[in-house]
Amino acid sequence: MANVNELMEGWGFGKQTAIGTANTSTAIWRQTNLNTKPWAKVPVNEDDRAEIGKGHEFPTQLFRSHYNMPPFELSKYASSEFLAWAMCFSMGNVTLTGSGPYTYVIVPALGATNATGLELPYFSFVQQIRPGGSAVLDEMLVGCAVKSWKLSIKNSPGRASAMCSVECMTTGQYTSPSGITLPAVSTPHEFNAGMITALTFNGINYLSGGSAKQFVSMEASWENNFRPGFFPGSGAQDGYQIQGRFEWGDRAFAVQFVVRVQAGSTEYSNLINLTTGTATFTMARDANNSFSMLIQKMGFSVAELGNTEGIVTLQITGVQLYDATNGLVTMTIITPLTGICQ
Amino acid sequence: MRKHMDTVHMRSPEGEVKEVEATTEALTPLMVAGWHQVPAPAAEPEAVGPKPAAPAGEEK
Repeated sequence: MANVNELMEGWGFGKQTAIGTANTSTAIWRQTNLNTKPWAKVPVNEDDRAEIGKGHEFPTQLFRSHYNMPPFELSKYASSEFLAWAMCFSMGNVTLTGSGPYTYVIVPALGATNATGLELPYFSFVQQIRPGGSAVLDEMLVGCAVKSWKLSIKNSPGRASAMCSVECMTTGQYTSPSGITLPAVSTPHEFNAGMITALTFNGINYLSGGSAKQFVSMEASWENNFRPGFFPGSGAQDGYQIQGRFEWGDRAFAVQFVVRVQAGSTEYSNLINLTTGTATFTMARDANNSFSMLIQKMGFSVAELGNTEGIVTLQITGVQLYDATNGLVTMTIITPLTGICQ
Repeated sequence: MRKHMDTVHMRSPEGEVKEVEATTEALTPLMVAGWHQVPAPAAEPEAVGPKPAAPAGEEK
C-alpha cells in the first residue's frame, strides 16, 4: 500500500529522437502536479462473442487487443518553464535563442513545412512510487505528446490566479522498471495575475487607459485533435497493439475573456463592426521569466452580457484569424532553462 | 524586451540559410513561412567555389 502523495512524476523537457525512443535521464525533469491521479495503463481484451459457429452466443476465448491509454492531465501553476514546455510541445515550431536566460519563440507548425509532417515532438513520462527493489510503481511511458492545453487567468490572489493544465496522450509503449533516477523536484518560476504587464485585446487596453480595471478573467486553450494512431506496423507491447503516431487533426485555438461593462465600452461595437486587431497578453516575473502571447488578428464572435459576483460583465468569445504573414499566434517565453523541446 | 540583440540562423523550406535578429517580430513571419532554426554554420571564411575541397578549419 502507498499513499498517492508518494507518487513522483518526471517527464522529458527535451524531445525524444523518435516516437519509440525514450528520453535519457539528462533530458527529464521532475515536477509537481495538482492532478493526483497516476497515468493509468489500460490494456483492452476482446472476445469471440460475435463469431458464429460456436453453437451458442456466448464468448469462449479472450484475445489481447490494444492499449487504450487515457489522456493524462498535468495541472500546474503557470511558470516560465512549464509554459515554455507546453507551448513548444503543443505547437511544434520552436526557435531557441540566448545564453541564459533563454528565449523561446513558438508558432504552430504547418504540415507542409514541418520536418515530421503532422506529428509534434514526443517526450517520455516517468511515474514512480518507492522506486528500487520493492517499487510500488516504476514505469516510463514512451511516445507521449501534448494533446491540448488551457491557460486560465482570473482575479484572485496567489498562484491560482494563473494556471496552466496540459492534456497528454501516450502510445502504450512503456518500460518497467523505468531505469530512471529522477532528479530533485525542480522549482519553477511561477507567475500570478499581478504580474500581467500587457493585456490588450482587439485594440482595447485592459491594463491602462479608459478600460483599466475592467478585466475579470481569461481562458485560452489549444487543442490538437489527434487522430488515432493505430495502423499497420504501429507496434505492440505485451502482445497488445499500441499507437505509432499522433497526428494533429483540425487544431483549435480558443480565447474567452470576461470584462466589466462601463459607459463607452467598445466590445459591442468591435463585434458589430467586425473590427479585428492584435491581442497581446504578457506576464513578466522578472528579466529572466516572462510569457507573451501575441494573437495576430482577433475579432469578437460573441459578447454576452451577464454578471460576475454582482458586477455587470461581458463574456467575450474571440475569433483568432490567421494572418497571411504572421500566422495565428506567436508565443515568446523567456526562462532560465535551456533545452526545452530540443 | 531583450537586453541585447541575439541572432539566429534560419533555413527556408527551399534550403536558404540566413542569419536574422532573434526577435519575435523578425522570427514570426519566417517561422510562419516554414523557416526552421538551424545550428550556426562552422566558421566559413572560404570563398564560394564549385567544389570546396580544402577544409576550412585547418588554420587553427
